[in-house]
Amino acid sequence: MTTSRRTTPLWTPSRRSLLQLSGLGAAGGLLAACSGPSVGGGGGEEEEGEATDWASIEPATEITWWSNHPGNTKELEESYIAAFNEEYPDIKINHVTAGANYDEIAQRFQAASGTDDLPDLVIASDVWWFRYFINGQIMAIDDVFDHLEVDTDDYVETLYSDYEYEGKHYAAPYARSTPLFYYNKDIWAAAGLPDRGPETWAELQEWAPALQAQVPADGQALGLGIGPSWAGWWFSNVIWGLGGNMSDEWTVTLDTEEALAAGAFVRDMYNGEAAFAGLGSDTNADFQAGIFACLLGSTGSLKGHLDAAPFELGTAFLPNGPVDAPNVPTGGTGLAIPSSRTPEQQLAAAMFLKFLTERDNTALFSQSTGYMPVRTSAVEGEIMAAVYEETPQFRTSVDQLQQKTRVQDWVRVFTPGGDQIITDGIEELVLAGANPEDVFPDVSSKLDVAFEDNVEPYL
Amino acid sequence: MTAQTATPTATAPSQPHSAQRRAAQRRKRLRNLGFFALLAGPNIALLLIFVYRPLLLSFYYSMLQWNMGSSVARFIGFENYVRWFTDPDTPQVMGTTAIFAVTTVGGSLVLGLGLALLLNKKIFGRGIARTVAFAPYVLSGIAVGMLWLYIFDPRYGLLSTLLEAIGLSSPQWYTTSPWALIMIIIVYLWKHVGYVALIYLAGLQGVPQDLHDAAAIDGAGKTRTFWSIVLPLLGPVTFFLLITTILSSLQSFDLIKAMTDGGPLGSTTTLMYQIYVEGFQTGRAGFASAAATILFVILLVITAVQLKFMERKVHYA
Repeated sequence: MTTSRRTTPLWTPSRRSLLQLSGLGAAGGLLAACSGPSVGGGGGEEEEGEATDWASIEPATEITWWSNHPGNTKELEESYIAAFNEEYPDIKINHVTAGANYDEIAQRFQAASGTDDLPDLVIASDVWWFRYFINGQIMAIDDVFDHLEVDTDDYVETLYSDYEYEGKHYAAPYARSTPLFYYNKDIWAAAGLPDRGPETWAELQEWAPALQAQVPADGQALGLGIGPSWAGWWFSNVIWGLGGNMSDEWTVTLDTEEALAAGAFVRDMYNGEAAFAGLGSDTNADFQAGIFACLLGSTGSLKGHLDAAPFELGTAFLPNGPVDAPNVPTGGTGLAIPSSRTPEQQLAAAMFLKFLTERDNTALFSQSTGYMPVRTSAVEGEIMAAVYEETPQFRTSVDQLQQKTRVQDWVRVFTPGGDQIITDGIEELVLAGANPEDVFPDVSSKLDVAFEDNVEPYL
Repeated sequence: MTAQTATPTATAPSQPHSAQRRAAQRRKRLRNLGFFALLAGPNIALLLIFVYRPLLLSFYYSMLQWNMGSSVARFIGFENYVRWFTDPDTPQVMGTTAIFAVTTVGGSLVLGLGLALLLNKKIFGRGIARTVAFAPYVLSGIAVGMLWLYIFDPRYGLLSTLLEAIGLSSPQWYTTSPWALIMIIIVYLWKHVGYVALIYLAGLQGVPQDLHDAAAIDGAGKTRTFWSIVLPLLGPVTFFLLITTILSSLQSFDLIKAMTDGGPLGSTTTLMYQIYVEGFQTGRAGFASAAATILFVILLVITAVQLKFMERKVHYA
């Protein structure tokens, strides 16, 4: 045995040195696997080129659709493809599960930008489509829809106009939803409450002690999660109900009295003696198990609750605040066509998109999931009429859409990362019991930076 | 021979011989180099294309203000670095990264060595035990994370049931800051200890039996033998493991993604995870590339320091 250091020549390669170098290199090159940009001062918006003469284009024989199958609809989506192929047998559609949720699909779509590994039709959620647009990743669908004679006037106006910027539409509505108030009618009856949702948040607060007496010790009156693409969504209802908003167009308005009051209300929902809301690892499952007496959830979860809940399910509009005005955000996802695909692929994708959003198909989608029909003709059509007759809970979301919805605050849906920044702020209110006066200035500052960095130069 | 080389007349005949020898050595070196290039060339080419090219590109991207997904960007020099160093989240990210690295590296070395000592004993079912101990290391991190989420679930999880059985309530693993990080560290250790144990096991089996015998003759007990003989001789193994586990720990991503998504309140957001969040969620690809470059520099410095100072203290048998 020797106790001296073994001398090694400086340039002798060894397994260990190669291992170290490869490990170090992997750390540094994390993002560079993505396709890189060209450096310039202009924006990423799709450049105005010569308009495509769609009449002269033949649809591609094979296209790819990236979906996360919102509302557990993989089989339903496959049935759409089969039905489409009966009409257009020459267009093969590759149905790809490109993520578990909207965010995962969006991350994959962005990472694939500039490569050939792109879909021809992609999920574009409320908080992601605008980022695709400013990055120049998706095309305006107006012209190709004109060519295909898509009846866009029949789309529910609120839902179609969500994808409009400067007179052009960059997606068509597909799995569209709003938050909905779900309640456990058995617990409601046991608590001696009327069979309806609370008119206002104040009323729910009044009811909370009676409801909490009916749930397990680790339960709460209201189940309300705080994840990305969700917390900022339902917070819209709270802040609007108090007369505030998160932004006025691009100007962040979280410093107003109303916004701070909304932040304080959310903090107190989860903290302190009067707390009445709780979190769960799976809030939907906890509600179905009776841990929570009521729940704010997406309309897209309606069918799942109806199938799984062992109690009679009640649905109601979201509670109002002191200000009586529309206070329900729309959300969910549309479908967009990437701008870098060939006209042939884009035409085939548009044909399939038209098919997916036809009256009976959107009605079937709504019936199977709880997402809202995206066509006015479907909302009042035969299929949905039968659904409302058999399951009145479906009607609530449609009525709420027509009576209570408003356009979302830009800073949440249009500013890249805006939803995540707002979610982080809400997390601090809920988990740390922080004061909005301490949290919102930081949130506002980050939103401003995100706008200045990622939106302003591209507009 | 010495007398011959002392006179000019004696050196003259040896010059051709010396030249031939040098030429032979050169040919041998060229052959060796060719052989090295043949064996290592493909791997080096792969490293250059898939590791160092992205590394350089990442540094270049760190100078850009670039939306992930956009086809254009703006050159802003070192502004992303200035922003990273002045970002109010940076101290928390670096603190979390340091805590995670120290506990996972230290924990996996200590536990791995303990497990290796156990698996080195002649016990019943030793082969199966070795396989079982190593198995978690080859499992997908995402799958492991998802599985452990069920175990840690404060309401329905196996751990909660066990804790309740002994009169304890489960911590809120998902929503409270220290517990979420502790949860990730526990799962990380479970997954990686088998790898450390396997390498240590190989090291233990390389310690000559003669030394054990000599120590026993000198009256050293098992504990004394371990501290004075075995542990010093495991120095090269420990050194190797230290480097690889630090690299692995600082680049850990999958468990965090699957189990906490960096939360709650950013308490499990390490530098590596920040790169992902900024690059793919927030979309600030330039800023994320700056953070990636900083991570690279940190790893480079740690490795260089280890090579310079620690290897001197390593005992080679």
